[in-house]
Amino acid sequence: MSASLGIAGAGLAGRLLGLEMAERGWQVTLFDQDTPDGIHSTTYAGAGMLAPGCELEKAETDIARYGLQSLPLWKALLARYGRSVYHAFTGSLVVAHPQDQRELQQLQRKVEQRATTPDVVQTVTADALAKLEPSLANRFRTGLYFPVEAHIDNRAWLAALREALVARHVTWHASSPVERVEPHRVITPQGASHTFDWAVDCRGLGARTQLSTLRGVRGELLYLHAPEVSLNRPVRLMHPRYPIYIVPRPDNVYLVGATAIESDDLGAVTVRSVLELLSAAYSVHSGFAEARVLETVAHCRPAFPDNKPRLLYADGVMHINGLYRHGFLIAPALIQFARHFLETGTPMDGAEPIMEAYAA
Amino acid sequence: MWQLGDHSLTSRLLIGSAQYPSPTTMVEALRASQAEVVTVSLRRQQPDTDAGRRFWDLIRDTGLRVLPNTAGCRTAKEAITIARMARELFETNWIKLEVIGDDYTLQPDTLELCQAAATLVEDGFEVLPYTTEDLVVARKLVDAGCRVLMPWAAPIGSGQGPLNPYALRTLRDRFPDIPLICDAGLGRPSHAAMVMEMGFDAVLINSAVALADDPVVMAQAFAAAVNAGRYAFEAGLMTTREMAVPSTPVLGTPFWHANPVT
Repeated sequence: MSASLGIAGAGLAGRLLGLEMAERGWQVTLFDQDTPDGIHSTTYAGAGMLAPGCELEKAETDIARYGLQSLPLWKALLARYGRSVYHAFTGSLVVAHPQDQRELQQLQRKVEQRATTPDVVQTVTADALAKLEPSLANRFRTGLYFPVEAHIDNRAWLAALREALVARHVTWHASSPVERVEPHRVITPQGASHTFDWAVDCRGLGARTQLSTLRGVRGELLYLHAPEVSLNRPVRLMHPRYPIYIVPRPDNVYLVGATAIESDDLGAVTVRSVLELLSAAYSVHSGFAEARVLETVAHCRPAFPDNKPRLLYADGVMHINGLYRHGFLIAPALIQFARHFLETGTPMDGAEPIMEAYAA
Repeated sequence: MWQLGDHSLTSRLLIGSAQYPSPTTMVEALRASQAEVVTVSLRRQQPDTDAGRRFWDLIRDTGLRVLPNTAGCRTAKEAITIARMARELFETNWIKLEVIGDDYTLQPDTLELCQAAATLVEDGFEVLPYTTEDLVVARKLVDAGCRVLMPWAAPIGSGQGPLNPYALRTLRDRFPDIPLICDAGLGRPSHAAMVMEMGFDAVLINSAVALADDPVVMAQAFAAAVNAGRYAFEAGLMTTREMAVPSTPVLGTPFWHANPVT
């Protein structure tokens, strides 16, 4: 008889793990407070950037390493499940206005100091920049290019995962919040208990019912339709106050984000944040002036106090939580670690920095 | 020991809580700095929703005295509202009063600042005003009832160090009995030592620690520099001498070989 797996939370991590294990013959059951379209998940609110280099500005080397490991895994995942999902392995570009050049130098210095592989970042001249992004020609004199980075349409990817899971007959308890995840058990409201060989917690801030140090870091972003702007890759603007990224989607749609506020507030986007994001976007390309604001998004990234994700395990239970702003970046590597543990009962080599045994 | 409002403090370094790579690093840096006072912003956390509580709890748990600030406010009215919320949230009458007049440099709007300071002092606050090096504004703040002054060295987050040491020295000379805390613009420990050598009572550091490659070690560096500067001030610095032109005969040189004294 095949092993059974109960997963709490059907965001990016929950869906990827469910799919991975279903492919290996496990009987998978998903529980999620959301409907299967997942529109209330942080995965849906994110930008789908795979930026192991840029993230070295603030993140630790381990995160970048897992991000680099995840890139080939992403290629395989997209080839298998996401052929119609917009994605591009076109790198990313970082620019700054002349008075903020030092922000670029500081980023480059931090990245080069922390990078574990060479050539993560290159300085580009105005000419090279114009070749990469013709619509930014004559707007910036210099920039930093991160050649191996990529971006994925996060929303389309969530939908693709849903389709793949349904095709593999995964049981999906939608609109079904989870109270606790215990060894071999997923507990839903009114103490209803569902028993499995393994129970895995992939919730976001919902996991605070058990992991009390999780906190929210509020992020806000905007969807713009800008027919006058044409970008091939994510562009980040370094700025001492309003650093932003602009991430392309098909048909001249752009995501402009994101704020990072130490707050659990899930309320609507604030005027100040919109002003900051749009002023910064407009300063990158004046073509954003007549863009239409399609949507505003606000959500909270789930994070532990050190902003590092955790893979906590005990017999019959695992928690994959606190992915903060690195969900898309590192999820495939984390899922490999989780799969290895579920199959062998031992942590995988290289997972030590984030894997911890705990007393369930 | 020195006196800040009604409290005696040992450390002359005050520290900020923004821009660290993570709250864990922040807490470690706070500890390493040996600071006794930490400043915390609340404007962007929508304080009426209590949504920033988890982050604030991490700061409260350090046991440091919290100095809430009004960062992000642009008018006296906004700053007064935030100050009152801060008083309830953190149960303190201390407020670091910031009223910003220019978004890029974060230069204070000193007119609004003086107005807000007067209202808040009347309201029972211990107002620590973040101001420029302007002597006349400083006078007006003291007249409004501020018992502390926090002049900038340079724009917030610029790390430029004292851009106008002359004016900072003037403040020290003119306000010998008002605690002066150099707030903003210090990028290097040597900058902190420099203002402490002038006789400033303390410095407030945030970006220079939070944005360092290793904030925890940088916090130690600033702690040491602040001490060094203070000791130097207390010890009394030697005066500098003009050695390029000899003014006294050098031993062993017959006076008729020495350059004439001019």
